[in-house]
Amino acid sequence: MTEVDQTSTIRKIIENYPADRRYALAAMQDMQRRFNYIPEDGLEMLSERLGCPKAQLYAMATFYKALSLKPKGQHIIKICNGTACHLRGSVNLATELKRDLGIDPGETTADGMFSVEYVNCLGSCALSPVMVVDGTYYNKLRVEQIPGILESYSATKPEDVTNHD
Amino acid sequence: MSETLTITIDGKECVCEKGEFLYDVAKRNGIFIPVLCRSDAFADHRACCRVCIVEMEDRGWRKVVTACVYPVEKECAFYTQSEKIKEERAVVMALLAHRAPESDRIGQMAKFFGGEEGFERLVSVDGEKCILCGLCVQACDSLGTGAISTVNRGTEKEVDTPYGNPSSSCVGCLSCANVCPTGAIEYQEDEATRTIWNRTFERAYCESCGKPMGTKESVAFAAKQAGVEESRVCDECRKRALADEMMKTYRYV
Amino acid sequence: MINGTERILVCCGTSCIANGALAVAEALERELASRGWDDVSVKLVRTGCSGECEQGPIVRFMPRDVVYYRVSERDVPSIVESLEGEAVQKLLHKQDGQAVERLEDNPFYARQHKLVLKDVGVIDPLSLDEYRAHDGYEGLERALTMTPDEIISEVEASGLRGKGGAGFPTGRKWRSAASYDEWPKYIVCNGDEGDPGAFMDGSIMEGCPHAVIEGMCIGALAIGAKEGILYIRDEYALARDHIQHAIDDAYAAGILGERMMGTDHQLDLSIVRGGGAFVCGESTALMASIEGRVGEPRAKYVRSVQRGLFDHPTVLNNVETLASIPIILRDGGEAYAQLGTERSKGTKVFAMVGKVKHTGLVEVPMGATLRELIFDIGGGIAGDRPFKAVQTGGPSGGCIPESLLDLPVDFDTLTEYGAMMGSGGMIVMDDRSCMVEVARYYVDFLCEESCGKCTPCREGLRQMRAILTDICEGRGVEGDIELLERLGHTMQDASLCALGKSAPNPVLTAIKFFPEEFEAHVRDKECPAGVCPELTRFAVDASACTGCGMCMRACPAGAISGARKEAHVIDPEKCIACGSCREACRFGAVQTTRRISA
Repeated sequence: MTEVDQTSTIRKIIENYPADRRYALAAMQDMQRRFNYIPEDGLEMLSERLGCPKAQLYAMATFYKALSLKPKGQHIIKICNGTACHLRGSVNLATELKRDLGIDPGETTADGMFSVEYVNCLGSCALSPVMVVDGTYYNKLRVEQIPGILESYSATKPEDVTNHD
Repeated sequence: MSETLTITIDGKECVCEKGEFLYDVAKRNGIFIPVLCRSDAFADHRACCRVCIVEMEDRGWRKVVTACVYPVEKECAFYTQSEKIKEERAVVMALLAHRAPESDRIGQMAKFFGGEEGFERLVSVDGEKCILCGLCVQACDSLGTGAISTVNRGTEKEVDTPYGNPSSSCVGCLSCANVCPTGAIEYQEDEATRTIWNRTFERAYCESCGKPMGTKESVAFAAKQAGVEESRVCDECRKRALADEMMKTYRYV
Repeated sequence: MINGTERILVCCGTSCIANGALAVAEALERELASRGWDDVSVKLVRTGCSGECEQGPIVRFMPRDVVYYRVSERDVPSIVESLEGEAVQKLLHKQDGQAVERLEDNPFYARQHKLVLKDVGVIDPLSLDEYRAHDGYEGLERALTMTPDEIISEVEASGLRGKGGAGFPTGRKWRSAASYDEWPKYIVCNGDEGDPGAFMDGSIMEGCPHAVIEGMCIGALAIGAKEGILYIRDEYALARDHIQHAIDDAYAAGILGERMMGTDHQLDLSIVRGGGAFVCGESTALMASIEGRVGEPRAKYVRSVQRGLFDHPTVLNNVETLASIPIILRDGGEAYAQLGTERSKGTKVFAMVGKVKHTGLVEVPMGATLRELIFDIGGGIAGDRPFKAVQTGGPSGGCIPESLLDLPVDFDTLTEYGAMMGSGGMIVMDDRSCMVEVARYYVDFLCEESCGKCTPCREGLRQMRAILTDICEGRGVEGDIELLERLGHTMQDASLCALGKSAPNPVLTAIKFFPEEFEAHVRDKECPAGVCPELTRFAVDASACTGCGMCMRACPAGAISGARKEAHVIDPEKCIACGSCREACRFGAVQTTRRISA
């Protein structure tokens, strides 16, 4: 995406809401969804639109887990670390992912393919441990299944997955 | 007309208005309650350091409240030195002392309130002076600059500018550093410049007497906020000039 | 014979979808169409969560009431065939070797009392008509003929208390908000269920969204609010979609908007997506979040009913509470108060998970005992292992040992023991759960989820995490347990909000009820449950090993070797002590011993 495209996309997202502070979170969530992170331009433009300091929006962006300031990978792997999943070994899933991808939860692979994150309960406790890749659930997952799952995503060419809308 | 109430603090009868903050009532009556995150400069208090906890007793029922924001709504008794408060204040001070081991003030307070002995096992944050009271952010916001904020949450919380970069909103006024109870906000100064939050400002001096007036940016910002023309002289010189003018004008009346 | 009244209910709750329910529903539609049974004769309904999530996808035939569990696409032709004949035996629930057809004959459901969940899993959550056909909006219709005072009196008579955990009497909250002559007023629904291990509210929003909306309408009438907001957790995409759908339908039907059901009352509802912060379940943090600020709580000496959202009078109720309101207005407060105990009325929904045989959502009258929940409804411990503890109330609650299993679960009893019923999360643990490690898990969670504003919570948790980590890794020292208690007691009293005040509960209850386990870690450097990797060594008992190879396949470290049908061996150098082998072994051959000799 070119810089001009990005700017106009951000503008569209922001102007979708009234210029009222109470829509700050929603606008940032939309940016997150669109770009996989919140670009600094986005914070800047939103701050102008709402007339609220950029620092306060930055505070929100670092406070809420649904928002991030660093671009995430093309495939987002969420390991549920709710209590039920924890008791059934979600830590081992993270260990296996570290062995396969070389990254800890909260990190993105150097090639930008995968981000791994721990998330709080996904509400599927009965199926623990649960891992979710790009919205697809893998239930009662055993560590030995992980390499195969990763392979199926690595096979996808970047072009196929960049455009989500 | 507001209602007056009589409460007791550590047994002493104190008269106050309904809704008044307990801390203010205690202070007026010469009763000391320690505070860290509270400043007279602001009407709102964050009530986050929790050093000002006291015990309230109402009809035999006791609970711990924070004096700085606790509005007195009925006649009851308060204890600032009960065993429970002493213990819990000691723990809070111990926690702060390990949070900000570099702050002498916090270290001394911790010692004074019993937060030193018995807490050797706690882990210190290396090189830290900030206790995250948030007064700096409050000061920056109240001036209308809004250059800094709290960042992250939970145990990772800190105070910074966006992205840790020099902020275009900062005017280098030092309000944040001046309000900080532990001197945690560092800045460097020489004749010509002042550096704070990674940004270097040109210092401003009074054109008349030569006294420092902050930075070029802070002078301009203050004038803009007040809706007046930017002043090139300090307040005192401006007043003196005004008086001279008056003298000239009225001498012949 | 097909007579046109048949309905096939396919559970499409989050868990069943994760298990492939959507594909099953589509296959059923294709199969029905190919037989010409679609549309008129057999209606397929995608419902919300039917409760027994682990057994999903669940398909239920009505009115005959046959329930099939763990249905796959392959099973579709045979179960459609069974519409006209014998039930498919292999997909039925088995009770003591006997196949059970009807839902009510499955003990998991038989002992429940569904009130809030009555329509969840039965109706199509996307259909306003179906909700109305199940007496939906009758409560609101009645409320519209009443004065605000009468509505509030009805709620007071029901004895309803906030089911989000705090248990504040709902009627009193409403009466207080109604008493302020200051407008605007707001009604807010807390759908930010963040307790790791609880999913009741999400399931209610998914499965019966109109009940929540109806509850908000009635609440708005009672306090005089014209605007309402539902704050829904970002992760609950399906719940959010269903609520939005229901809001749109309610507007179209003239229930929401300027003229509520043709009267002069007005209510506008909108959704705010949560930002992803557990602390936003706390009322003042939630409101800060709606206002577009960082979700930090403020001191609550002035209550939200007086000065809440945007500094205006605000009522905040949680999902399950609001979903109870239509029932109370429809059937009367007295009827509702018949259920439950002296001080906790009505029912409570629990999300029962962990090492219990039947996991899922259950609704029982307040005052049911933990034993009834876990053993009668949940069927006991998975793998028939010994029960060890049940964690209630999530990060705000505590661990309860076997000796207290006969306690009634209500708002007050568990609190007396340092735990709490909380919002209804219930995690069952067996002898292979380490209570020290569980305490550390919750503290870890809270270190990240605390807002970080006040000293006792932020710094207390940080120190607790350091000490508990040391204990789990064999570096505990004499005095650690007492120090944890000291920190905990100060956090309970001196923290700013409910999150901080309750944060030490998991640690303090674990110490209280399982002191010997803490001491074993600190003094003997031993993890009796064989969980803490630094303290535990895994080995295969050659006499019990059958050489099946399950452990070898499960080992992520490649530490296990052995020929087929011969005893396997764990290489201690390679072993990462994750416990996967022990979970995998069906013969109890994987043993744990102390790693560090005392």
